[in-house]
Amino acid sequence: MPVISVLVALFVGAIFVLISGHNPIRAYAALILGAFGSPYDISETLVIAVPLTLAGLSVAVAFRTGLFNIGAQGQLLVGALGAGWTGSQFPDLPGILLLPMTLISGVLAGAAYGAIAGWLKAARGVNEVITTIMQNYIVVFVMHWLLQDGPMSAPNASGTPASSPIGAGAILPIIIPNELVPLSRLHAGIVLAVLAVVLFWFLLWRTSLGYELRAVGLGALAAAQAGIDPKRRMVLVMAIAGGFAGLAGMIQVSGLFHRVFDGFSSGFGFDAIAVALLGKNSPIGITLAAILFAAFARGGTLMQANAGISSHLVEVIEALVLFVIAAETIVRAIAGRRGPAQALA
Amino acid sequence: MKRFLVLAFIFSILFTTSCDALTGLTGSSLKIGLVTDVGGLNDKSFNALANTGRLDAAKDFGVQTSVIESKKQEDYVPNLTTFAQQNYDLVIGVGFLMTNSVWKVAKQFPNIKFAIIDGAPADDAGKTENLTNVANLFFKEQEAGYLVGVIAATMAKDKVGKATHNTVCSMGGIPIPPVDHYIAGYQDAIKTISPTTTILNGYSNDFVDQAKGKEIGLNHISKNCDILFQVAGGSGLGYIAAAKEKGVYAIGVDADQIDAAPGTIITSALKRVNKAVYNTVKAVKDKAYKAGDNFFSVANDGIGYGKTDAIVPANAKAAADQALADIKSGKITPKDTVQVKG
Repeated sequence: MPVISVLVALFVGAIFVLISGHNPIRAYAALILGAFGSPYDISETLVIAVPLTLAGLSVAVAFRTGLFNIGAQGQLLVGALGAGWTGSQFPDLPGILLLPMTLISGVLAGAAYGAIAGWLKAARGVNEVITTIMQNYIVVFVMHWLLQDGPMSAPNASGTPASSPIGAGAILPIIIPNELVPLSRLHAGIVLAVLAVVLFWFLLWRTSLGYELRAVGLGALAAAQAGIDPKRRMVLVMAIAGGFAGLAGMIQVSGLFHRVFDGFSSGFGFDAIAVALLGKNSPIGITLAAILFAAFARGGTLMQANAGISSHLVEVIEALVLFVIAAETIVRAIAGRRGPAQALA
Repeated sequence: MKRFLVLAFIFSILFTTSCDALTGLTGSSLKIGLVTDVGGLNDKSFNALANTGRLDAAKDFGVQTSVIESKKQEDYVPNLTTFAQQNYDLVIGVGFLMTNSVWKVAKQFPNIKFAIIDGAPADDAGKTENLTNVANLFFKEQEAGYLVGVIAATMAKDKVGKATHNTVCSMGGIPIPPVDHYIAGYQDAIKTISPTTTILNGYSNDFVDQAKGKEIGLNHISKNCDILFQVAGGSGLGYIAAAKEKGVYAIGVDADQIDAAPGTIITSALKRVNKAVYNTVKAVKDKAYKAGDNFFSVANDGIGYGKTDAIVPANAKAAADQALADIKSGKITPKDTVQVKG
């Protein structure tokens, strides 16, 4: 089904290209070439796929427990702030200490932020959709203050508020040698992302906690009857979700930018919702969906450069993918069959 | 099976045309790449103007040109790199937000020529470092400010139309050099031509938020401002909206904004980014490309003033044209430091 969703979206997208007076086959050729046409393009696509995958896991783990985490974006930013703070606060520590510290700061910061929404849901019954959306806004403005006039602001050249750079020990190294792919930015964060995907699978399907989380997702009342406390699991799962997103933020800081700046990595947390839906909340599905969306992002740029077609087309296609998935969910719900509608409720 | 065949068919079409697209991109003419900042191509300001310059150059010089719109700030480096890697002959970054990104990429590609509008390459600490393969395209905004200042001063002095209080104002976004240059020139002209006119100035501390611009506009109007000059991008549109609401006059900036509020906007201070892009492409074509600081001013038609509303009297236009000629001949050198800050 997900493959069909993508194909339908591409087909409708092709109609838009035609209307705009371009050749859709040429457009998609440029899109594919832009994403996978050279080793450098592939490495750039993977650079984008890393945070998308992690944020996708964040959304998916909450989905599996019956929660809708719209807050991956905010959790990612909090993770980036945590990692950026630790990384720049102790710039002289050796990597063997500083890198794990930076990683833990990012994950814990994201987890703590996610747990707030989980706690509000469990203790006060506040809908997590509302709280996580509001949390996204809160981080954006707190971040602006921190970097503009607050304790994390530092002089820099980019014309936007930014933190001071992290220490050399906090940097995730580039894993592709320059002789192999010149200028590749593909960093060791991809290894962390792969480990996180395995962890996601192991946690959900190979531990009793994972079983309990999924039980709550399939039916909170039934789970409670079976002696699982859904409320505690809600707090826990939102912390786990925040941890995945926080890791994404940490990787963006340590692997790519080496500092935090205002307007940092905008949008990954929202694309992640589409990634999780398209990937059917499964580890492999999320990974593939993240690579697909990363290919759209990277390929869209090259499509504009090389075929002269607005890169906004890929946003249309992404939206269509979501639309088709949502339509499918609605059709199933109307038909009264059990399906993803359950997970969304 | 049927589904598989359809898929195989689609992929085979895509694959064969991929190869076409690949070969279609290689040509012998010059290749020029433009990277917009996050404002995008429809900002009705300098990104749009830069793109106009690119299209004009493509038409006049038969060069191949492409554009990439940056969606986030972190796309600047990969987008600039994309063009550099394809061996473009000139890669242009639009706006001072790209100074650090251009510095990074230009250092990696010493054989590719770059240009940056409104800035110079700057290292990670924010220190300017001129590179031998980067042309810094600067504008003498104070000249444009001066020209519209002449019109405002003449109208205030002669109490033309609704300009009855002999007070003119301006609002900047953030007090950075390109903004303050405009305001400095504007105030210089007013002080020279109509010394009795009251001058007010303010900053919205924002380039996007219209509400902030409108607030300052309403405040200025309550203090009898008749003519409001905005130098604040999107935030400035709010300043113009205040003028429109209260029925006073406004002056646009960067691009010709007269169509944004006909009857309210009397003219615009023009910074012809399109000219800068066009001329830089021409320089590359004529092998006259010059790295380091390049200035665009009245002298090379990089600065001017826009269309005027019918309310602007002939003597004000004549005075502005005279000022244009005098700046060109060097008789007038507009100041570039702001005299009235608040």
